[in-house]
Amino acid sequence: MSPNTNVRDYEPVVGRSYIEELRMLAARLSGKTVLTINSTFAGGGVAEILSHLVPLFNELGVDVRWQTISGDASFFKVTKKFHNALHGKGEPISDAEFALFRETTKKNLDQIDFSGDILFIHDPQPVALIEKRKDIGREWIWRCHIDVSHPDAQVWRFLQEFVNKYDAAVFSSPNFAQQLPIRQFFAPPSIDPLSDKNKELPPQMVDIVLAKYGLDRDKPLILQVSRFDRLKDPIGVIKAFELVRRNFTCQLVLAGGTASDDPESEEVLQEVKERAGANSDIHILDIPPGSDIDINALQTAATIVMQKSLREGFALTISEALWKGKPVVASAVGGIPLQVKNRLTGLLSHSIEGTAYALRQILANPEYGNWLGRNGKEHVRQHFLIVRELRDYLLMFLALHRSEDVIYL
Amino acid sequence: MGIGVIAWLRAHWPDIVVPVLVFLGVFLISLWIRRITYNTLERWLKERKTNVGRIIVSATRGPFLHWLLILGAYIALRISVLPAQDKVLGGRILASMFIAYFGWVLARLSRELLVASFPDRTKTPGRVVTVTTNVVQVTIAVVGVLIILELWGAPVAPILIVLVAAIVVAILVFRDVFPSLVSGFQLTQQKQIRTGDLIRLESGEEGRVEEITWRNTQIKTLDGNLIIVPNTRLMQATITNFGKQPKAATEPFQFSTRLHLRELTGLSATNVSQLLSNLKEIPDAVVYYHTHSFIEEFQFLTPEPTNDFASWIQDALHYDALAERLAYIDTFEFSTIAALRQRIVAVIQDFVAEAPVEREAPPDNEFHFIKSISVVLPTPYIAHDLQEFISILRKVSIGSLYFHIFEARLRLQRRTNDFSVWFEDCLGETELAEQITRLDPYNYTMDNLREIIIQACEKRL
Repeated sequence: MSPNTNVRDYEPVVGRSYIEELRMLAARLSGKTVLTINSTFAGGGVAEILSHLVPLFNELGVDVRWQTISGDASFFKVTKKFHNALHGKGEPISDAEFALFRETTKKNLDQIDFSGDILFIHDPQPVALIEKRKDIGREWIWRCHIDVSHPDAQVWRFLQEFVNKYDAAVFSSPNFAQQLPIRQFFAPPSIDPLSDKNKELPPQMVDIVLAKYGLDRDKPLILQVSRFDRLKDPIGVIKAFELVRRNFTCQLVLAGGTASDDPESEEVLQEVKERAGANSDIHILDIPPGSDIDINALQTAATIVMQKSLREGFALTISEALWKGKPVVASAVGGIPLQVKNRLTGLLSHSIEGTAYALRQILANPEYGNWLGRNGKEHVRQHFLIVRELRDYLLMFLALHRSEDVIYL
Repeated sequence: MGIGVIAWLRAHWPDIVVPVLVFLGVFLISLWIRRITYNTLERWLKERKTNVGRIIVSATRGPFLHWLLILGAYIALRISVLPAQDKVLGGRILASMFIAYFGWVLARLSRELLVASFPDRTKTPGRVVTVTTNVVQVTIAVVGVLIILELWGAPVAPILIVLVAAIVVAILVFRDVFPSLVSGFQLTQQKQIRTGDLIRLESGEEGRVEEITWRNTQIKTLDGNLIIVPNTRLMQATITNFGKQPKAATEPFQFSTRLHLRELTGLSATNVSQLLSNLKEIPDAVVYYHTHSFIEEFQFLTPEPTNDFASWIQDALHYDALAERLAYIDTFEFSTIAALRQRIVAVIQDFVAEAPVEREAPPDNEFHFIKSISVVLPTPYIAHDLQEFISILRKVSIGSLYFHIFEARLRLQRRTNDFSVWFEDCLGETELAEQITRLDPYNYTMDNLREIIIQACEKRL
């Protein structure tokens, strides 16, 4: 999103009435302050969506402020373990690590200025800030961006102690819902159609980026964009590609980067490079954060976009690809089935062979791929653009203490 | 002294009588000419039915008599034996009187003609008429004064120079105003726009023309805002004019919109028995979500996928026959969620009674019960008649359409919708109301539904 982007710029994308309704909702929150807190200002989907949402809230007249918690590398190593455990990838967590988490939270409780009527806390890293509630009261919402459908029991029990103290929790997919004593809302995350990552690029720009990474413009391009994380199954992607490559001339691009709260990614990147070996049709691109135009160009040039995750929070990269009208082949995990309705807005798979089969179907029938891409784009326009997420949060702030099924404002 | 006057009259009576007789003669002849001229003119105007001629006749008939008197006096003066100096003085006085009187009549006439030249005399732009009339009247007055001054030998040239300079300065200062003034004049003269018309601008803004001033046109939009458009821009723009207000409704229609928030219940089902058991207990808002959300979610697809229960039973459990029976349930038949729930439960119960083996959904394919929380808020759009209703319906969100059509049935708990109720109760459009009520909204995409309602309304205009 450019610094000058304002809510009105979304009118051509979603229609004027949509924007009018946002203004009507925002007007009813006039005078309230929302403090949003997460773990980082840059790197990863949460920071990205907040960097777009916060200015839009403010432009609508809702006073939203953004702060992050601080912590050293050992703290983020623990929270990464939490992250993996919540995804069901059990790793033993010691009492000392839980103690470190509490200790870092305590430091943040002393450092953060909690001024705000609504405290909007994102993901597990700052979840324990709810301890401040006994001192200051206010309304608290916990926004969980990750897949907690099969959480490790030990970690979830630990976190639930804090989650239960919130007024409400927000999950990205219905199957992340838990048995909680508090209200749970469903709000999938979103992409910004006007951002550098999603705006329409001139063909020359796409050519420049492809040349920069040594990619062949004329060869069908299969792309997966994701951090180098085992849960994104980059090795599985390479295996599926190798199956397809036997019958189709094509190239694979695994484009990713690292986030400051993900110490594992360097290690995974090396594993992926070793697995790709000397195959000249496999391109491993370590793209630093902020290379949005490059990512956009790769997605625009792609023939098929993949997301073969083993666990997934939401996978915004799918909405990004669908928004560019690309056919998507993805695993039926986490929030992916919300974006990819099998055989309507993309193809879902459950295995390496299933993924290879879906890739072949599209490579052999480009028109089918285009039809899936067109439907996918419309699906994203209706449900996964930033203005929808903005609207969900406005509604949530307004409905937090209303128990009726039909609320008249 | 009396003898002196009588003697003087005896000696000079022809000097007095002749001018008086000439004055009376000229006056009588002129009266006769005036009568013939005006009678002929009136007969001609009667045939032509022209308003302008009538105004001219009515405004000049009375003053014409006075002009004749001045003419008679002037001729009498010229033939009199008065000294040449007095004749010149008298002539100037009479000429000045004539010019002043003529100018006054001309100014009055010009005002009446200008007012009459606007299409709608009761509602046309008062300020345009006033400004134009003032300009014309001042011009006439200035010209009259200049002629009189010239007549009396006063130096007119310097005054003229000052006047011309003042006009040039005025043009420079008000250079933006004149084009607007002219445009305002053209707008009303050409009857392109009139007060009360519903118009759509190139920008998409729609509203009723409130006032056309000498510089701009004020439009009250359908959401209650006032847009002020310079007349020059309006003249250059492409405007859709829907014309005057059709039959006004007894009560206006307030458009509302409905947005929804999804609340997770934490309840799920992995087989039909669990689905059935939860279905009997869950709140109406959950049943509502799973029988209506697909309409909004896939409103761009034709045909739309079916309700969530049928979809899940087909995709996750592969009970095709049960899925078909659930998909066949016509939501349109039910005006309460309780009745709809009862039907769904009955269909599943029948199946469970017959089903030999219970199938389980694969992992991660459970059915999750979601509750819909509707948030309703009024929009700024209010329709006072059918034309405004159509214009607003074109621009309101799908949420608004959804609220007035789908949710209305459940809110009103009868087989109708908000639009039909308004058509019938406030516009007396019974036939249109019935037509919209008969529509099964569940069979159309939202955009198609919108277009069908608009077309039905347009036929009534």
